[in-house]
Amino acid sequence: MNETMAAQFLFALYSLIIAAGGFLAVSAASLVRSMVGLIAALFGTAGLYLLMNAPFMALMQILIYVGAVAVLIFFAIMLTRGEDGEGSTSALGRLVIVGASLLLPLLLGLVLFKTDVVTLPAPELVDIAILGKKLLGEYVLAFELISVVLFVAMAGAVVLGFERRDAR
Amino acid sequence: MNALYAYHFVSLFLLALGLYGFMARRSLVGMLISVELMLNGAALSITASGQLTAADGALAQLSSLLVMGLAAAEATLALAIILVVAKRFGNASSKTTSELKG
Repeated sequence: MNETMAAQFLFALYSLIIAAGGFLAVSAASLVRSMVGLIAALFGTAGLYLLMNAPFMALMQILIYVGAVAVLIFFAIMLTRGEDGEGSTSALGRLVIVGASLLLPLLLGLVLFKTDVVTLPAPELVDIAILGKKLLGEYVLAFELISVVLFVAMAGAVVLGFERRDAR
Repeated sequence: MNALYAYHFVSLFLLALGLYGFMARRSLVGMLISVELMLNGAALSITASGQLTAADGALAQLSSLLVMGLAAAEATLALAIILVVAKRFGNASSKTTSELKG
């Protein structure tokens, strides 16, 4: 088995994990199950990052998404008694939703196939030292701004969740 | 079919799934999960564009790192808002918060 075939096999495997996880994430009645589906999709995406020679991104994906965001959403599920509301959408309504959600991806896919891009035969590894230097040199403004955004989000969450003693 | 198209196809698939979930879900937490799916697809698409074309790979990886940071910030705020809604109205469904007071 040569390298190209191995890469294609792994790509198919990871895509399958993403597809199965994604379907579970949007269709499971229990929110805990849909969260498990989301985590599977996130791990599949981490595999795709490894496949396109970006191991740092794969690590960050697992660290940030699976480690932080998933735990946060699990907290939200536990604190709100996670069920997906009562009542179901009619078959026609479901069809309309599917059509509406396919509209934008189909348009973007059309744009993608119309554009002619020269692609590299094999993705090259960006050294993690270069990433660090760029983060503190060329893109330092974005780096500082995302820190401020994260801090404001955290402070906002604390303010929102804060309960006044004389409430109501 | 080259590799770039394949990666973009996967991220478009994630976008479609996320849009579907965002519209079909009734609970706010379910909608948050769908948004995370879409953001995940966006980061994947950005990284694929940088790694598989002549564009700067470092720029692409740092951009999708930015997307991940924004996703984390958004999840934090959404969690706080969902908690407040659940405390005030008893449940976290999108139907319960559909009316303004006045």
